[in-house]
Amino acid sequence: MLVLTRRANQSIMIGNDVVVTVLDVRGDHVRIGIDAPHSVAVHRDEVFKELEQQNRAAASPDKSALAGLDALRPDRR
Amino acid sequence: MSAAAGEVLPDIPELAFDTGLPGFPDATRFVLERFGDEGSPFSLLRGLDADGVEFLVVPPTVFFPDYAPEIDDETVDRLGIASPDDALLLAIVTVGEPVESSTANLVGPVVVNRHTRKAAQVLVDELGWDLRQPLVAR
Repeated sequence: MLVLTRRANQSIMIGNDVVVTVLDVRGDHVRIGIDAPHSVAVHRDEVFKELEQQNRAAASPDKSALAGLDALRPDRR
Repeated sequence: MSAAAGEVLPDIPELAFDTGLPGFPDATRFVLERFGDEGSPFSLLRGLDADGVEFLVVPPTVFFPDYAPEIDDETVDRLGIASPDDALLLAIVTVGEPVESSTANLVGPVVVNRHTRKAAQVLVDELGWDLRQPLVAR
């Protein structure tokens, strides 16, 4: 991991297209601004990891299990 | 802006997820096709790339009529959404064992622009909705 120390209003460039700026520091919270092209997804790490995990759990379901799903529809119960 | 509700998703031959999906960053091309019997609200989001991954999806309002998250401006821009009618909202379903324990991901819905055919899974910080929202209330 590359470790840099920045003050408020200082920035870091990642590659040619991503700029990370420390906006302000208040107590144990740091506000960070990210300038990146639309093609680069930016997320908070812990939420992103949960989303990744859930996508993997949902991926390529066993189709034979799907017959029972339709019966779960609110209008069929 | 919130997406217009729809009970049955259209078939769309090729959707572009520019940054893939979390966990599947290289899965950028998908087909959306209806799954199940006539009148089934479920669709399959089927990956077109090698080792194509598939996801079972459903319009979230079928099971959760009150679900109407605001889609952030960044996503609206990125997908070229000009009006609420452009947008389709899909929830990815995790099939459970037994099937009654299946859940929908209401924290990371998939937003599709039906005209530009661009799509993305977005993070929605709505109070009360779950990453694993049971389809059937206990």
